[in-house]
Amino acid sequence: MKKQVLLIGSLLLTSAAAFGAAFQLNLQGVRQLAMGGTGTAVPWDAATIFYNPGGLSALKNIQAYGNVQFLVPKSRYIESPTGTYIAESKDRTYTPFNLYVGGPLAYKSKFSLGVGVYTPFGTGIKWDDNWRGRYVIQDIQLQTIFIQPTLSYKINDIVSVGAGFVIGTGSLDLQKAVPLQNQNGEDGTAKLEGNALGFGYNVGVHLRANQYLQFGISYRSSVNMKVKRGYANFSVPSSLSSSFPYTAFKADLALPQVVSVGIGVRPTQRLTLQLDANYVGWSSYDSLVFDYENNTSALSDTRSPRRYKNTVILRLGGSYMINDKFTAMLGCAYDPTPVKDGYLSPDLPDNNHIMATGGLTFRPIKRLTIMGVLEYVFTPSRTGELAADNFGGKYQTKIINPGLGLTYDF
Amino acid sequence: MKKIYSIGLLALLAASCKPTIEPEKPQKGEGTDFTRYVAVGNSLTAGFSDGALYRTGQMNSYPSMLAGQFKMVGGGDFKQPLVPGEYGFPGPKFVLAIHKGLCDTAALLGPVPFTGALDTAGTSQNIYAVEGPFNNMGIPGIRAVDYLIPGYGMVNPFARRMFVSPAGSRPLDEMLILNPTFFSLWIGGNDVLGYATAGGEGGTLPTQKISDVNLFNAAYDSVLTRLKSRGAQGVLLNIPDVTAIPFFTTVPANGLVLDKNNANLLNNAYNSLTHIRFDVGNNYFVIQDATAPAGMRQIKQGEYILLSTPQDSLKCAGWGTRKPIPASYVLTADEVAKIKAATTAFNSIIQIMAKRENLPMVDVNAYLKTIQSGIMYSGVGYNATFVSGGAFSLDGMHLTPRGYALVANKIIEAINNHYGATIPKVDVNKYNGVLFP
Repeated sequence: MKKQVLLIGSLLLTSAAAFGAAFQLNLQGVRQLAMGGTGTAVPWDAATIFYNPGGLSALKNIQAYGNVQFLVPKSRYIESPTGTYIAESKDRTYTPFNLYVGGPLAYKSKFSLGVGVYTPFGTGIKWDDNWRGRYVIQDIQLQTIFIQPTLSYKINDIVSVGAGFVIGTGSLDLQKAVPLQNQNGEDGTAKLEGNALGFGYNVGVHLRANQYLQFGISYRSSVNMKVKRGYANFSVPSSLSSSFPYTAFKADLALPQVVSVGIGVRPTQRLTLQLDANYVGWSSYDSLVFDYENNTSALSDTRSPRRYKNTVILRLGGSYMINDKFTAMLGCAYDPTPVKDGYLSPDLPDNNHIMATGGLTFRPIKRLTIMGVLEYVFTPSRTGELAADNFGGKYQTKIINPGLGLTYDF
Repeated sequence: MKKIYSIGLLALLAASCKPTIEPEKPQKGEGTDFTRYVAVGNSLTAGFSDGALYRTGQMNSYPSMLAGQFKMVGGGDFKQPLVPGEYGFPGPKFVLAIHKGLCDTAALLGPVPFTGALDTAGTSQNIYAVEGPFNNMGIPGIRAVDYLIPGYGMVNPFARRMFVSPAGSRPLDEMLILNPTFFSLWIGGNDVLGYATAGGEGGTLPTQKISDVNLFNAAYDSVLTRLKSRGAQGVLLNIPDVTAIPFFTTVPANGLVLDKNNANLLNNAYNSLTHIRFDVGNNYFVIQDATAPAGMRQIKQGEYILLSTPQDSLKCAGWGTRKPIPASYVLTADEVAKIKAATTAFNSIIQIMAKRENLPMVDVNAYLKTIQSGIMYSGVGYNATFVSGGAFSLDGMHLTPRGYALVANKIIEAINNHYGATIPKVDVNKYNGVLFP
């Protein structure tokens, strides 16, 4: 027993978990994350509400599911090609979470119902207030919480389908320095805050070909998160304050559609292997536009081009049932960046993500499972610039992301 | 025991999660030696800003910024002839304030002379013996043709305070005291600027004439040849077309806005002069022009009214309306043409010399034009608009520290390209732009 724990520990150490490219989190289930983010083909638990609503029919009873991640990204900026300047992002822990409840309407019912509350997208980075790129960004936090009521129908022993309606809520907080200095040389600042709302859907088909082979396909629609009335607060030298009024603003952020296909193979009773591919329609994120209600001669609407490109993520994972109580999982994934050259911004200094994940589940009693996961994300350093702002340098980001979860079967 | 394991594990995890990239070490390039850098130039090199020489302006001169970067590739100390205080020399610097002029109906944000404590007393005293010799040989007001004049220190107070022998030496001799291993040479601006700021023709001082192109050529050649004679490497900067700077572009030629009543009144007053007419809306100011009927006419597009034109006279003494703006505050089309022709001639000499001596040249003239149309740099927008543009200081001619940093980076770019060096650029955002109340 003790030996097994140590073994898992060392696996966790050499592996690591993944935080998706750009601001897609890909952290919607503990087991799934521990297996490289796969989960379209195999409905392990109620997290299938996110991964494949069609899989909900596979749950034999109603399950309550909760988990939280403790995401700690660290980024460093250095001046490039040569120099001495180094800036590090401030340590901040982000806690994406997932809650799911779902299962069959009645024993052996063909219909299953569920609801998921999860955090599919998010990003945040905080640099020193006086750092070199302060006029581009000082601090940003983008959070989303999606609520997804879901219905699944089991057509026959092989095919089941499911669909969920997505109510997306979110918030955006952003702070940057404004290049208007007072008599002491201190910069102005702009703080923007707003709540966002958007709608979408999530549909999926699950196929259980036989006891060895499962397939899944799911489609999560784009969700256009609209900030209808955010507030911008400017602090500038007093002689200019009338040009920078406290004003409402509007902004849209089109979150991408995602098509996922997966295959799950169970060569032996204890071992399951999964392979997933996600097509992410990042090109929806073309520009970030802030439309201020009160425009003045000094304050006009802003349009920051992002021009994200679509990407395909590949994921591989395995699960090995050690005994009745313990299952171990490992995985890896490659999540290419949607950020093109010339659009590399310190508000999200992105690059291709290479992820290694591992996890362990423990079932002390029949109805309860405790799950742990660790993800390590490695992004190769990237040199580039945000051409529109003429701000460049070299960035490196590393992310460590442990998580814990529980499921309870009723 | 188990606890210790877990703590060790956590530490390992934390370490593996930290980014590790480090900036690369700069290289000085082929054949360069930054041990003794000397900056040769005029007020722009001295760090003149906001209409005066003051201490923080000097400390943020582009040569001082460059010396800071050169230190990473073996550069030595860099001494500047600093004035003691912030008031400004020879007169007070400009600061921004909300003030109400005699003829203003409301208080406006604009440059006013600094009224703080006078802390530059004794600045005109010679400081060479105590603080010299200096690496920053920027001398406000100096023309290229002045470099060969013995005793120049006696006619220029900025030179007098820093020269080893103001009464005897030529500026050229003073540049060589430190035996520079690397130099920047940005001269020639005053060979045309003095004419322009005097309103073109009519200036009586020698410094208010455009320098003779042959004299310019000879002087520039001598300065460069001597600087290079002991194997020093360097970088040249050409001169900007001064008509692109806010000093000349801020007061719009057609900035006279009239209502119907005032337009009628003026039309009646100028009844006998048919070439002067006014309408509702924007009108061209009336200027003095000896060649026009009655010695006056309306200014045209492409002609300039100087920023030095007294605002009170414009606003309530009837300048530009009831009375013509004096010629000394105006550049006519002929004068502008002469300025442009001289700038082109001087710049082609600088370019020929750069080629001859195999030295990099920074095309400041072209760069200023890109600033005029607006640039972004490290998240900050710059243009050539007075006060709000960010690059030009409150005199409309000299640069802000950020403006000087932009120039410093063009120089570094030229050095890196020419000598195969990798000197990092200056962090422009570390310096100040225009400061607002």
